[in-house]
Amino acid sequence: MNSDRVEPKARTWRRRSGKYAVALATSSFILAACGSSASSSSSSSGTTAASSGPQTITWWSSPLGAGAADIRAKLISTFEKAYPNITVKLVSAPTNTDTNRAQLTTQISGGSASPDVFMGDVIWPAQFGAHGLALPLSKYLPSSYWSQFAPGLVQGATYKGQIYGSPMFEDQGFLFYRKDLLQAANLPVPTTWQQLEQEAVQLVKAGSVQNGFVWEGNSYEGLTCNFMEYLGSAGGNVVNSGYTQSTINSAAGQKALTFMRSLITSGASPASVTTMQEPQAESTFVAGNAAFLRNWSYAWSDSQTTAGSAVVGKVGVTALPTFAGQSGTGYANIGGWNLYVNPHSAHVSADLTFIKWMAGTTAQTMLANASFIPTLQSVRQQFANSTTAPPPLQIAAKENLIPRPSGSPNYAAVSQAIYTNVNSALTGSSSVSAALTSAASQMNSALGGGL
Amino acid sequence: MRVARVGWRRYLNGVNFGVVVVILFVMLPIYWLVISSLKQPAALGATPPQFFPNPLSLTNYRDAFSTYGFGVYFRNSVVVTIATTILVLFFGSLAGYGLGRLPMRGKSTILITLLIISLFPGIAVVPPLYLLERTVGILNSYQALIIPYTAFNLPFAIWILRNYFQGIPKEMEETGRIDGASPWRIYWSIVMPQALPGLFTAGVFTFTAAWTEFLMALTFNNSNSFRTIPVGIALFGTPFNIPYGTIFAASVVAVIPIGILVFVFRKSVVSGLTSGSVKG
Amino acid sequence: MAVVEVADEAKVDPSAKQKPKVNKQFRDRNQIMLARLGWRFTTPALVIVGAITIFPVVFSIVLSLSNVNITGNGFQLQGFTFSNYSLLIHSSEWRYSLGFTVFYTFVSVFIEVVLGTAFAVLMERLSKGRGPMMALLLLPWSIITVISAELWQYVYQGTYGVLQYLINSVGFGKPVILGTPTPAIIAMMAADIWKTTPFVSVIVLAGLVMLPSDVFEAASVDGCTPWQSFWKITFPLLRPTLSIAVLFRILQAFGVFDLPFVLTSGGPGTSTTSLAILGYKVMFDNLQFGPGSAVAVSATLLVLIGCLAFLRAFRTQVNGGDL
Repeated sequence: MNSDRVEPKARTWRRRSGKYAVALATSSFILAACGSSASSSSSSSGTTAASSGPQTITWWSSPLGAGAADIRAKLISTFEKAYPNITVKLVSAPTNTDTNRAQLTTQISGGSASPDVFMGDVIWPAQFGAHGLALPLSKYLPSSYWSQFAPGLVQGATYKGQIYGSPMFEDQGFLFYRKDLLQAANLPVPTTWQQLEQEAVQLVKAGSVQNGFVWEGNSYEGLTCNFMEYLGSAGGNVVNSGYTQSTINSAAGQKALTFMRSLITSGASPASVTTMQEPQAESTFVAGNAAFLRNWSYAWSDSQTTAGSAVVGKVGVTALPTFAGQSGTGYANIGGWNLYVNPHSAHVSADLTFIKWMAGTTAQTMLANASFIPTLQSVRQQFANSTTAPPPLQIAAKENLIPRPSGSPNYAAVSQAIYTNVNSALTGSSSVSAALTSAASQMNSALGGGL
Repeated sequence: MRVARVGWRRYLNGVNFGVVVVILFVMLPIYWLVISSLKQPAALGATPPQFFPNPLSLTNYRDAFSTYGFGVYFRNSVVVTIATTILVLFFGSLAGYGLGRLPMRGKSTILITLLIISLFPGIAVVPPLYLLERTVGILNSYQALIIPYTAFNLPFAIWILRNYFQGIPKEMEETGRIDGASPWRIYWSIVMPQALPGLFTAGVFTFTAAWTEFLMALTFNNSNSFRTIPVGIALFGTPFNIPYGTIFAASVVAVIPIGILVFVFRKSVVSGLTSGSVKG
Repeated sequence: MAVVEVADEAKVDPSAKQKPKVNKQFRDRNQIMLARLGWRFTTPALVIVGAITIFPVVFSIVLSLSNVNITGNGFQLQGFTFSNYSLLIHSSEWRYSLGFTVFYTFVSVFIEVVLGTAFAVLMERLSKGRGPMMALLLLPWSIITVISAELWQYVYQGTYGVLQYLINSVGFGKPVILGTPTPAIIAMMAADIWKTTPFVSVIVLAGLVMLPSDVFEAASVDGCTPWQSFWKITFPLLRPTLSIAVLFRILQAFGVFDLPFVLTSGGPGTSTTSLAILGYKVMFDNLQFGPGSAVAVSATLLVLIGCLAFLRAFRTQVNGGDL
């Protein structure tokens, strides 16, 4: 080794170490920045303007209606007319709900002041509240504000005594059926699950339709919704009231899951329901290849558009059935979307103005006319009593509602435990009781904060 | 050569047969993509499936551009992708040449470090990178994507270019060095022309990687004027209503630039190929 | 790392020792000059890569070793812990995902490399039409992964999917491809093989084209059959190129995310939940960034070990110890 050789090595080492030093310095700076308070990070918009000056807020929302039917722009322009000082900038959110949540989590935990207001799923309040990813709105809005919503919705947006989301529109499960097929076969609209199963089998066997009953049985969040509906009719629930213990492995759980599996084994539902999410179930139905469909309210307007549907005018919608021997209608799972405020928002008062307007009669009526179920009790009732309103809005009030166990901040893991195991039982790769046992133990671990 | 050709004549039929197999392998799913993009929504769920769309409809293409503003996403993707590809090829070929041909110490350390970086899962990298970009203040811009794309595509480009550089015979380079040509000139006029197939390969992969990247594009740019094609497509429809036809139409359009790229560079690839076979 | 550096040094020295002394000094100076040049050429790229990637990688490692709580004000790290990793080791989900990911990577990369090499050899034989064929081959690769996954989902779909229709029409009934674990895994692999075989083909083709042609001429004069000349000449010369194709395919396949995310959502049950899907669910659905980062880091470490083992086994003879 002559001395010449040492030199370049030393130089490169120095250069390299310098590079790492810079990188490390940057990272420690950022780590420090993460830990700092919210106020320092919400710099993008400058002053916390008084309510009088013109302000721009960003609204993060996935599309409200497909393509040209999207009413977001219309909502915004109507709002801006009413409040000329506030400009709303729309940021279109990804349509996949999980991707949507991942984006919001990254941005808000990263300290971003934008979006100011975001539209989020009704199952998010506990998680977002527990992690400080949404502003507790009940600190800013009086109880008179919250009392104008339909019962149960505000409770679903509450975590540890604080309300995090303002209900924007609600959704629930409905039973869509083919009027023409039932009429031709002289069958009544089913009111019990058993009746639905038997009619579906009959229609398929008669060859009048390829598939009987299609619903969302894929291994994803929507299956938790579907399962909750059968479980509700069977009189069960998945967790105890304190969110400490799974109650899924019960007689009601057995009844619900056994029935769901029997839908497939009896031929009432095609085996492929275990791969269906909303789009696949709906496509099958609107193509004219299923007699019954469990889906959300949007499926009504989709089934009535000529370009996308082969069953225009042949579709009826009714409340979900219940199990034989129970009175009343079945249980529909609660879906829908709330408006939340970013805790870093520099325009909280403008945000609240926007949110209040969205919960007001004008916006709620616009939403209802576009087939979204309003959350404001007055508008909701008005549409429920109108014979010209979209049918799902008329039926919505007649259904019993069952929420998902989203009061736990670990709801996502709880739901994963439900839908993966229910899906395994549906495909037959595990028995009903094995699936329930495994779901219960995974749920308990999730409720305790495990994976 | 003539002897060889005669001997291969029987084999040439095999080649042709193989080409047909490859075309079918590639094209059958593509065919399904294209015809599905030409179907109306109702026909997408038809059973039995329509093997030829009836009626044939361009609605999906119109929707993609007019209703969903696909044109903006397209422009952004072009800007980001071309900038990324140029940067990656420039820095990657320099580094690939250094690591492949020059007697540096610690090459293996560098290469392994690059490997670790390129194999780190994207999902874990995105949240801290978001913090980094927010601190620097480049969110919602072209550079918000060009910079990380360049950094994350460089490792693969370096590895692959280094490999091709190693394969080039050293004689010409050494002749140039003895003739007193500057290192830059040796690199640019002697080495690079011989490495064209390698550059093309690295370029194509960088281009497609940047063209199709989703997670960073979605996270770093949420202003519509900087969103790219994959993100734009993820905004089609509603949470419950995925307009497959429109999505397929958009993706058919999105594939066209790759076709153009290969077509434009076909000459240089072919000439690279000939120079490659002549040089031996 | 230091051990590996020695290999480089050893490679330079023996050749130098055999030269006369004066020449050696000249060579050394020349070597040093060239090494400096090498650093000058390499540093810009390394600075770019380092500046962007080191922080995220280090950050994830720190998260994986901390009690992390994600809040509106960023990540709160509450002390050093190994509990994230022990949580994984005791989790049947993690163990299944690991097994599935390894199996999936091994099988699909193997098939892709065999097919991809065959395609490349085929294209190298083509005198005309190589350009169009190249463009054709790149089509699947250049389709946005999420969308090709949606395309395959549409093809495999259980009521109106074309594949099920075809299977049914040749008399094999109506299998629910994506609803049964084994067919779903095979279906996922098929979609991956379709999309990424071209990646291998293009890399290998460029490698083939750059091989010196005189060897092949000699071989054909010697009367080697094409099969013999492939295994005896082409394959050994192609090893460095092939190993890069395999290496990066392993990396990509091990991190598979978009495909199962769209195609199966990780189902049926959890049967197609790859490590990346699991990591995503734990991080972004459950907001458990400690365990989630541990999934990411563990995946990286495991695949790194796999890659190094592969490199050692596959490349040593060719490059004489250099990677």
